[in-house]
Amino acid sequence: MPSRLTVTGWSVVLGFMIDSACADVVVVVPQHSPVERLSREQVMDIYLGRLTRLSDGTPVVPIDQREGSTTYREFYQQYLGQSPAQIKAHWSKLIFTGHGQPPRSVADDSAVADAVSQTRHAIGYLDPDFVDARLRVVAVE
Amino acid sequence: MRQLAMALLTALAVPVACGTAGAAETPTLSLNGFGTLGVVHSDERQADFVAHRLVPDGAGHSGAWSAEVDSRLGLQLTANPTSRLSGVIQVIAEQRHDGSYRPFVEWANVRFEVTPALSVRIGRMVQPVFMASEYRKVGYATPWIRPPQEVYGLLPVTNFDGVDFRYRSRFAGFTHTLQGNYGRKDSTTPSGGDVRARDGMTLANTLERGGVTLFASYSRYRLTVAELAPFFDAFRQFGPEGEAIAERYDVDGTRNTLISLGARYDPGDWFVMGEWIRSDSPSFIGDGRGWYLTGGYRFGSLTPYVTLARAWVDSDTSDPGLSTAGLPPPLAAPARQLNAGLNQLLGRAAVQQKSVSLGVRWDLARNVALTVQYDHLDLAAGARGVLTNTQPGFEPGGTVDLFGLALDFVF
Repeated sequence: MPSRLTVTGWSVVLGFMIDSACADVVVVVPQHSPVERLSREQVMDIYLGRLTRLSDGTPVVPIDQREGSTTYREFYQQYLGQSPAQIKAHWSKLIFTGHGQPPRSVADDSAVADAVSQTRHAIGYLDPDFVDARLRVVAVE
Repeated sequence: MRQLAMALLTALAVPVACGTAGAAETPTLSLNGFGTLGVVHSDERQADFVAHRLVPDGAGHSGAWSAEVDSRLGLQLTANPTSRLSGVIQVIAEQRHDGSYRPFVEWANVRFEVTPALSVRIGRMVQPVFMASEYRKVGYATPWIRPPQEVYGLLPVTNFDGVDFRYRSRFAGFTHTLQGNYGRKDSTTPSGGDVRARDGMTLANTLERGGVTLFASYSRYRLTVAELAPFFDAFRQFGPEGEAIAERYDVDGTRNTLISLGARYDPGDWFVMGEWIRSDSPSFIGDGRGWYLTGGYRFGSLTPYVTLARAWVDSDTSDPGLSTAGLPPPLAAPARQLNAGLNQLLGRAAVQQKSVSLGVRWDLARNVALTVQYDHLDLAAGARGVLTNTQPGFEPGGTVDLFGLALDFVF
């Protein structure tokens, strides 16, 4: 009889396989933002709360998705190599030491499109199907 | 246990206005909480395994199983009236020096952002003495059930009242955080004595890049243990020899220093982290050394890990004390008593042990993790290691096996 632990382990493995079959999540900024490209490390630091201003002094305001949503899981796996539990643990360290609160989070991909296009210096991530004329995809290398 | 449950319920019932985090410019109020429900079993019935040395009860002698070592509940209210000003109050319920679970204020401070890079705080804060000091009580945020006591046990006190600054800069992809603070702290021992730390200061430096974290800190403080004053005054009655002993071992404004170096590498699927510390006190507390190394691998929601740790003392753990040979019998007896007391003090202060810990953390739901951990403590010859409440039947220098189960949560 498979134990509950084994079952959980397998569902996680399957979950990763399904995730990797989906289209890649893209990082977006408002259409008129000066930000053209970001390094993978910069994206990581922005979403971990370590980077709040780019080297030229431009502030960055990250917009997050609902914890546990598919896009959320994919983004953190794809760009940071971390699971939702690792991200939760990371923010627990900052919240309970008074060193920061996680980025503002919105309900879904279309809400990210709205929030990023309406917020100055915003950066967000979403499924490429939701990219519209108000947004520009940032090259992440 | 009932007391603990009551304290947890009381803390939960505290009414608070709770808002959700909005845009950076609008005032926000957030309520967050963390906690651990943990039990630990010790096979050493002649001594207690405790959370730290300033609490009375643990697993072993007080009861083979104990829920008092790892369990706690914390609630935090964070207010951001403006984007540059914030306030934090964190209240924790856990076993205290008198065995009660009265909630106490762990953090209470106001933070002002002078520039985007520099912030200052005033109030009650936790000292960043070790790499995980500031969140050591948030079990969910750490891989272990409890931080390795060979390192974290050297400083049982976590918070202080004072001021601190935090300066953050970036170079070559590294995020560099320099923290400094100055303050004081009063605490109470299980026997009711006062421990006063004054002129405490810490400088801590953290470098982060990708999965790499490097940490270094230097702390110093003046310590006074008032309840020991009569004991050392008794030594002083015995002339120059006694005065020299009192001078050597008394803790009366003694300058203690602590250095910690730590590193962590966490590329995502696995992690390894370690810390080394040295704590020097020209008193009976002595010169403690310690290190630990933890490594783990993440298989989906399961993270097995292993920790190796060691603590030892670089100063004398015993002393011949007063020479009783030439003393008349009415003086020799109290002198022998004082010598025995001194050696008991030295033996208790010295933490000397090695340990191996094996554990598995299971992130079973969002915000909740269940961790099982087995610890094998190998006490140094003649030492009691991190154990307290040693009974007459306790044999120092043996081995102790601990088995712990903890449910950590954050909200």
